[in-house]
Amino acid sequence: MSRSLLLLITSSAMLLVFGLWVPIKAVVAQELLEIAWAESQARQTESRPWPWADTWPVAKLSMPELGDSMIVLAGVHGESLAFGPGQMMGGNGTETAVVIAGHRDTHFRPLKYLEPGNELRLQGRDGRWQGYRVSATRIVDSRSEFIDTHKLPAGTLLLVTCYPFDSMDAGGPLRYVVEAQVDDTARLADKEDDHSSVLYSQAILDEIDTVAGL
Amino acid sequence: MMFSSLSSQHSAFPFAVSSPSRKAVPPSETRCRYVPVRSAPPSMAPHGFGRGHRLTGGLSVGRKRRLVRFMEGISLWMAMLLVLFVQPLYAEANTDNEDSAGTLHFLDGKGQWQEPALVLGSDFDVRVSGLIADSKLVRTFKNTSDDWREGVFVFPLPEKASVYGLTMKVGGRTIVGEVQPRAEAKKTYEAARDSGRHAATVEQQRPNLFTTRVANIPPGAEVSVELSYQQLVSYRDGVFELSVPTTLTPRYIPGESLAVAPQQWQGGWAVPTTEVLDADAISPFTVDVDDVAADSHRASVKFTIDAGLPLAQVFSPSHQVATQQDGQVVTVEPQAGDIVMNRDFVIRWQPFAGQEPGAAVFHQQWQGEDYLLAMLVPGRAGKTRLPRELTFVIDTSGSMAGESIRQAREALQLGLETLVPGDRFNVIQFNSQPHALFMQPEMATANNLARARQYVNGLKADGGTEMASALTLALQGQGKSAGEMPEDAARVRQVVFMTDGAVGNESALFSQIRRQLGDHRLFTVAIGSAPNMHFMREAARWGRGSYTSVQDLADMSGPLARLFAAMEAPVMTDIQVTWPGQSAAVMEDSFPQRPGDLFQGEPLLQVVRGVAPAGKLRVSGRLPGGGSWQQSLDLQQAASGTGLNRYWAREKIDSLLDDARIEGQEPDKERITKLAVAHNLMSPYTSFVAVDKTPVRAAESALLKDNLPTLLPAGSQPGMARYPQTATFAPLMIALGLLGLMLSAAIVLLQRRAYP
Repeated sequence: MSRSLLLLITSSAMLLVFGLWVPIKAVVAQELLEIAWAESQARQTESRPWPWADTWPVAKLSMPELGDSMIVLAGVHGESLAFGPGQMMGGNGTETAVVIAGHRDTHFRPLKYLEPGNELRLQGRDGRWQGYRVSATRIVDSRSEFIDTHKLPAGTLLLVTCYPFDSMDAGGPLRYVVEAQVDDTARLADKEDDHSSVLYSQAILDEIDTVAGL
Repeated sequence: MMFSSLSSQHSAFPFAVSSPSRKAVPPSETRCRYVPVRSAPPSMAPHGFGRGHRLTGGLSVGRKRRLVRFMEGISLWMAMLLVLFVQPLYAEANTDNEDSAGTLHFLDGKGQWQEPALVLGSDFDVRVSGLIADSKLVRTFKNTSDDWREGVFVFPLPEKASVYGLTMKVGGRTIVGEVQPRAEAKKTYEAARDSGRHAATVEQQRPNLFTTRVANIPPGAEVSVELSYQQLVSYRDGVFELSVPTTLTPRYIPGESLAVAPQQWQGGWAVPTTEVLDADAISPFTVDVDDVAADSHRASVKFTIDAGLPLAQVFSPSHQVATQQDGQVVTVEPQAGDIVMNRDFVIRWQPFAGQEPGAAVFHQQWQGEDYLLAMLVPGRAGKTRLPRELTFVIDTSGSMAGESIRQAREALQLGLETLVPGDRFNVIQFNSQPHALFMQPEMATANNLARARQYVNGLKADGGTEMASALTLALQGQGKSAGEMPEDAARVRQVVFMTDGAVGNESALFSQIRRQLGDHRLFTVAIGSAPNMHFMREAARWGRGSYTSVQDLADMSGPLARLFAAMEAPVMTDIQVTWPGQSAAVMEDSFPQRPGDLFQGEPLLQVVRGVAPAGKLRVSGRLPGGGSWQQSLDLQQAASGTGLNRYWAREKIDSLLDDARIEGQEPDKERITKLAVAHNLMSPYTSFVAVDKTPVRAAESALLKDNLPTLLPAGSQPGMARYPQTATFAPLMIALGLLGLMLSAAIVLLQRRAYP
């Protein structure tokens, strides 16, 4: 009896630990990514947050209304999504559409509080912030709708996460999509912030060298 | 609703640790501290839960009591956690139906996915008699839901099919459809749909693309729609071929979107653009086989071939088939039973060597009029090889991704092998923009060929299908090089165009080919599991070349070798066809009116109205060296055939549409409609509609529309990105873990209490 009880306790504890491991990893990784992001801005190269990582920071996403910001990684494979939202497509500035996907259990949990009219900001590797404004939120069925990558107008930012937010089912077909358009007024307001962030990344350069020295 | 507002507050709770919003960004000095911990975090987590292991050890009574109290505390705490964690899930389930009516049709109360409501089955029964194949295609729409449904399905038919019948079968009754002018048919159908009667309609969107709509499919019931169509069997180099398309490659829609809103989100369907006004009607949603119900999108296929002559073999390059011979009639069925509709079904049959027919005549009387169909294969002409200028154009658009681009690369390599010293060549690839290997066609030296091979091997498929600019690039330059050298003037200019034809603006491209062709000849090679054969055939016709299709890599060298042989062999031009009793009316009614050039092994096909089966048909032409060539055919030998009038009518309609295109005018709508109605045919301006008499659906029960997807052609990759998987098992594991710990705590407590 006591042996099976012990087994039950240990296995439940293990499950709990593995379950909690995901959000813990997500939080800790973001801290490491901050450093890698500063480093890649300073060096203007892809810099991996840790030597064996198979992804690297490509942008920083900020949601001013929610007081939240996070580092966006390259690719949407499981490895990158565990540490931060991943960039599916898009790249430099507003010439192409940008699609970013993240886990609903971790980084993209705040997505459900975004409303049309809210501001989003995306920082590229050059340190420049691009302002976006949320134009719509939708729920799509991933089995009957795809992202038509050729048809997305330039200057669109799509944030994708799973839906419903509190579901236990990790393989559900529904997705929550936040659609935002480039908004230059939002960007102008942040000129100052833009400037300081560039300075910041310059200032951090020496420090980065010591990090690299480790 | 109370619950839902509660849930939004509490649901974040178990994830408080995970939410980056709660985490203040530490100042930069402290960051460095994290670096050495990079791999450490795993050891942190188990630490806090190690306490559980000590429970079973032998303990004193006092400690036991303390432990029990501690356990009670802990389980209360965990119960609280669990309640907080699980509560939003119930709230979610309860509010699901209210606030998101439009988007969540397919969800039941628990937020679970339900299979699409309509299951589609298809049944092809093809009977070949001589040169005409008559098909009955039954589409069955099975409604597996509890609602009334309207099914919409876009499907392809062979590129020269004449659709001549529609019947709807519902609950043991058969309702025969009739041809009506398109707008009228649409009105009839919509009126019937809204009044709750059974109704079905079929519309032509492109010569090889149709839409069927079936209204008021009762819950749990089945409605089947039978379509009758006929097509001509193709015959070339002694091999007969028939292809049954089952799906379509998603078309590229060029031009600016017409919709005012930037995104219309029509369930994956394209929105109309400036260049393709009916984009939404020709771009069904394409899905993978795994995404439809296991018994949906399956087709049973049966061919009955009466070729009229003994056959050496019947085979299919696309599917494994089982054949059964009964005298001259051969029955063919796929070995695997029902086939998945993601690949064209191609079947070929071949007479014994030396017995290949060189000519055939069929005759039919329909409503007092004589119809004749004649086929004539010119004998082989002598070989005189001229130096050539060959331009290979290869489609590297997104729709070619996967197996198709491999086929195309392979085909191009085979094409490069046919070049001999003295020829000039160039390679052009195109997707959103064209790109040429050489600025101008270069001599086929070993060096240049090696460069070309390397270039071809590096081709990747991605981007749009902007065919127009590629055609311009391929067809330009005749004025430029003509001035260079006298020998260049005698060069035969040929363009080999390798594509899946997945474009929505076919008509504009044909006009462009006609305008820019000059002395070029355009040959099309169809690539992929479901190429747009209408585009292949018509582009080659306007380009005065011929077309071929490859089904799979193994089958490739055969058809391509024939194409390249035909390209090298001389071409018969200026073909004149003279029917007996030559009169203006007969001239007017024989099709095609301007027979194109004949390549080696290609038959000449003519259909005529108003000529009795007597006398001789004379055909003459000119060979490239200046020699002339003549053949005649005795019409008295005509065998009786069926469906010739429909073939003739379809050719007549096509010819009227062609004339309009050449003159750049609107086609004579009225004349085409009249002709189509007289011959009971589908056309761009006429549709079939079948309507039941009595209403079956009560006005108060709603009718839901279901756009049925088509299957992605085998081997091709979706051009559109899938939404990624963006959830983890963490919540589930946390819940299970908490539940398990609580359960064990409860057991421990019970044990202690029961036996102190």
